[in-house]
Amino acid sequence: MPDRSTATRPGLAPAVLAPVALALAAAALVWVAPEMLDTFSVNVLTRSLLYAALAVTVDLLWGFTGILTFGQAAFFGAGAYATAIVLTHLGSSPAWVLAALALSVLVPMALGALVGWLSFHHGSTPLYASVISLVFPIVVTQLVYSGGEWTGSSSGLVGYDTLPLDLPGFFRLAGIFAVLVALGAWVFVRSDAGKLLVAVRDNDARCSYLGISPTRVSALLTVALAGVAGLTGFLFAQASGVVAPENTGFLFGTELVIWVALGGRGTVLGPVLGAVAIDYAGATLSGDLPFLWQLILGSAFVVVIILLPDGLAGAIRRGWTRVNARRDAAAPAVVALPAAGAAAGGAEPLLVVTGLGKRYGSLSVLDGIDLAVRPGELVSLVGPNGAGKTTLMRCLSDGTEPYQGSVQVAGRNTRGMTPERIVALGLGRKFQVASVFDSLSVADCLRLARAARDRPSPLGAAATLRLPAASLDILRLTGLDTALVTPVRLLSHGQRQALELAMVVALEPKLILLDEPTAGLTKAERTTIGTILRRLTADLGCAAVLVEHDLDFVREISTRVVVLHGGRLVLDGTVAEVVDSDLVRAVYAGAAHA
Amino acid sequence: MLDETAPHAGTPPPLQLRDVTSGYGAAPVLHGVSLSVAPGEIVALLGKNGMGKTTLLKTALGILPLKGGTVLVGGTASAGLSPARLVALGVGYAPQEQPLFPDLTVRDNLRLALRSDRDLAAGLDHAASSFPFLRDRLRQRAGTLSGGEQKMLILARALMMRPRLLLVDEISEGLQPSVVARIAAILRAERAERGTAMLVVEQNLDFALGVADRWAVLKRGEIDDAGPSGPAMRGRILEHLSI
Repeated sequence: MPDRSTATRPGLAPAVLAPVALALAAAALVWVAPEMLDTFSVNVLTRSLLYAALAVTVDLLWGFTGILTFGQAAFFGAGAYATAIVLTHLGSSPAWVLAALALSVLVPMALGALVGWLSFHHGSTPLYASVISLVFPIVVTQLVYSGGEWTGSSSGLVGYDTLPLDLPGFFRLAGIFAVLVALGAWVFVRSDAGKLLVAVRDNDARCSYLGISPTRVSALLTVALAGVAGLTGFLFAQASGVVAPENTGFLFGTELVIWVALGGRGTVLGPVLGAVAIDYAGATLSGDLPFLWQLILGSAFVVVIILLPDGLAGAIRRGWTRVNARRDAAAPAVVALPAAGAAAGGAEPLLVVTGLGKRYGSLSVLDGIDLAVRPGELVSLVGPNGAGKTTLMRCLSDGTEPYQGSVQVAGRNTRGMTPERIVALGLGRKFQVASVFDSLSVADCLRLARAARDRPSPLGAAATLRLPAASLDILRLTGLDTALVTPVRLLSHGQRQALELAMVVALEPKLILLDEPTAGLTKAERTTIGTILRRLTADLGCAAVLVEHDLDFVREISTRVVVLHGGRLVLDGTVAEVVDSDLVRAVYAGAAHA
Repeated sequence: MLDETAPHAGTPPPLQLRDVTSGYGAAPVLHGVSLSVAPGEIVALLGKNGMGKTTLLKTALGILPLKGGTVLVGGTASAGLSPARLVALGVGYAPQEQPLFPDLTVRDNLRLALRSDRDLAAGLDHAASSFPFLRDRLRQRAGTLSGGEQKMLILARALMMRPRLLLVDEISEGLQPSVVARIAAILRAERAERGTAMLVVEQNLDFALGVADRWAVLKRGEIDDAGPSGPAMRGRILEHLSI
């Protein structure tokens, strides 16, 4: 009878064991390969394996995080040049080799910090980051050309002392390094922290409003991967014994991107396959068919792109799932957090808006808004379509939005603050159109909502999902608790709305902004959501601002109602006063769009 | 049973689903759904979340592939037809999410519904008579309209195509009550004027019963119940929609 003891921790053991086992097998293969290959192949494949490690870093940035980068070549080149410069000009004693090793990582990381700072800030677009990554290798190459005898200018550096390894030794070093980089990448992208990369790619606005800074994630990743690229450069300088300006250039950066695309973007195996296959094939063919090989390689690219749009790894994965019907990942066990005794009934308002105005060109959308919301209040914001309700929500939650007047959240003026900083003050915002992460599962989305509080592990997926009771109630009510492993892209419109609401509530916000939280839900679901919101405010002392059109719903749950019409707050009062007022009747009978 | 109530014998129904099975991955969302919409008829498709309402519309439009059964649009099997062919057959669609060109102006969004500029002036007039705010906003970029205004533009654009069959996905969502009432009137007027058949997916029960002649409730991918519209049906339907 087989030993079933590993089955007691579902999901965890195989998730860690499979990559480690595969990595061990790959390492063993790398170890014996030099015995079976000719010298030419060993030589070429040493380089190919280092390029494979570099391609994995490109894929982490592009395939997983959505940052198309040509800059990894520059970091690689900087690491290679740092090594060669130290060994050529300063010395090659063990101490200098260690210094070269350290510099080959630190110099690219410092450059990575510069690139990250330039590329990622609130409101910068992915295209902008790509352009910087394209310019950067050109700058580094020019620096190398103008470095005189320090960099060897156009001839590069050659003839420095390298590590005392023979050809197979360098092959094994490069191979083990590539396996370690791929294993590290594989474990990381499957971990809870690795889901941050996909989250940034899918929806950076939602990341911000979960208190996760997408610019920080992107910049940190750029710095870390610049270090890995630099280390690859160190090994390249050692194994090849020569560094040249081409090793830093954007042409090489472009080749890396092509290898990743052909191998399979968004997989770990893909870039390894793409880099090794194409680099090795290119080297072999260029010897045998000096003029034809680029034509052959070019035609092969076209064929792969037409037949295998998701790359070699994509084809392998499809074949694999056909043979092995994909087992659903085990759903994490959901654990209810004890209700946090939020704001102990303090009378200080959580939101104070003074003289808020907003214009788009000559069009005034908001004008002279004054509003204060205290703990325990549930304020409904009603008004005709186009009255400025969503614009008001945006000004309250994003201090970088240009507006007149002032907004204070939990006593702090939020002007100039990015959404993630305002979220850290205790704000949560649900958008009008559900804003979730399409490539992730329901459980992953919810875990990301907790990422700012429960730091996700970079090594594995937690077996439990800790959520506040109110968030759990929303999941149970809408049946999402039984769909935790379902990919979000398969959810219906209403389920997406419910998921986003559960995510916002999982932030345990003190002030919650809800733009039509029940749109797309049935009347019965609305009523129950209303009860949950009521409990959040009345019992836990949250404050909520709710945009809503259903006056019956507003009447049921609000403690106060304000009316926005033509960009002005025209009424602010109790439910009875406002809902039954002539003005609201006139507005809802169709003053605005009639 | 819905199939048997075809009032216009002779003309093929604008939409007929026979035993349709469809879905996204391996597991189907719809299991053997049969439903037809007769010429000039408005049918409301109701149901809780995730029961397959949008899936049904997307299958009827050929956006999702059929896994079983047939879809007939005006008597023509729609399997394998491109959305452009379906539009030529007279199908209009007002989808639920992200269907506008946000960087184009309101006018250009509406213009794209027409084959030529010849009918543009009349079309714009008609759209503006339905939704007067559009008249002043023709030069505004569609993406800068508010959420509710975008929904009205989506419907106006679908109506500009003068479809014989109009599929509408949760048009009332996020609209103020007076506009919802106006849309009900617009849909009924459109039907009276041009005999447009409509399949209306809705969460707003009062709106749905106000505008439709018949209703059907979708539950777990099957038609669970169906009947004629009328205030008396409210309780029966609410039972299906309760948790």
